[in-house]
Amino acid sequence: MYSAPYGSQADGGSLFSGGGFMPTQSATQSADGISRKSGGTQNTGLLPLTVKQISEAAQNSSDDTFYIDGIDVNNVTILGMVHNKEERSTDVSFLLDDGTGRVEVKRWIDGQDTFENEQIAALQDGVYVRVHGHLRSFQGKRNIVAFSVRPVTDFNEVTYHFLECIFVHLHNSKANGMAVKGPSISSPNYGNPVGGGAPSQYVTPNMTGVGGSMDECQKRVHSVFEEPSSLSSEVGLHIDDVARRIPGFTKKQVKDAIEFLVNEGLIYSTIDDDHYKSTNG
Amino acid sequence: MDTSNPAPFVNAELLKRYPGRRVRCVLKVVRAEGNSSLSGLTSDGLHISVKQVPSVASLSQFVEVIGVVDSDRTLRAEICTNFGDTFDMSSFNQLVQMANSEYQSLFI
Repeated sequence: MYSAPYGSQADGGSLFSGGGFMPTQSATQSADGISRKSGGTQNTGLLPLTVKQISEAAQNSSDDTFYIDGIDVNNVTILGMVHNKEERSTDVSFLLDDGTGRVEVKRWIDGQDTFENEQIAALQDGVYVRVHGHLRSFQGKRNIVAFSVRPVTDFNEVTYHFLECIFVHLHNSKANGMAVKGPSISSPNYGNPVGGGAPSQYVTPNMTGVGGSMDECQKRVHSVFEEPSSLSSEVGLHIDDVARRIPGFTKKQVKDAIEFLVNEGLIYSTIDDDHYKSTNG
Repeated sequence: MDTSNPAPFVNAELLKRYPGRRVRCVLKVVRAEGNSSLSGLTSDGLHISVKQVPSVASLSQFVEVIGVVDSDRTLRAEICTNFGDTFDMSSFNQLVQMANSEYQSLFI
């Protein structure tokens, strides 16, 4: 799900970062003791952050750049409640409170765009919004210049945003672009809430219907077919391969299990009657 | 920038940790009592009551309350926000736990 590496040189990342502000030096340790990576990998795309993280971001004294978890911060996405909205002819500004702190957000108004005007009219004190914007420091105060301010309509996005903040923090601080071995975060169930249910592990979607009624052998055989190596194979797996990978079951049991899985529509035969492949593949 | 007055995410269990402090908590509304108080279930499935609820036109099934902890089972509301009728409480509860333990430094 999170295959796109946060903090690597994503092509889209530089789109909004504004040419003049890009640090070009490849210092590994700056004067104020902030370690950073060399040029090229500094463009971070859009970083999900809490206001507390923004307030604690280290700032390079010579230029206007911020660092969080050793990574350059340009564009951020934050989510919280609007307070003290002030509308002027050229801009609308407000304080965004995400429960960890408050930060000033300013959005310049073009004045021509009716869609923009509608968006701004929807901004009222007490409304939850998702802000995409550029983090900068102005007269010693940190604020966000927003590109987009959008009211939250599905409030699972609140949970999602903060889980994403945790995930990205882990990703950038521990792994430095490698696979994260953090605790498994079960993402909120967008638009398909399981209100009150126990947090469930990820299961392949079409297993949920029959998973409960499978016996041990059928489950084991099915999981063999669901392994990434099995899914990527053109011809699928030979019955003997399957039997070899789950010791403790006879070939007869494996054959019966395969027949069951075929009837359930979970696997299908490929080049001959001995080779099968998952319908997920 | 002002991070001096955060409102930590809580469930009923974590409420005890913040007596007299401002917190935020999503509740499944059980019933509204009169027009200024309500009782609801927290994300860890316990009943708490909320006093001084600002008058809202109508409450959705899930409501976020930002308010001050009065006792282990009572909040004094400052802001109530409708969170709609489809909110995943189990994911939220996991977030609440992470935001008060391992990853607290990102929040308060």
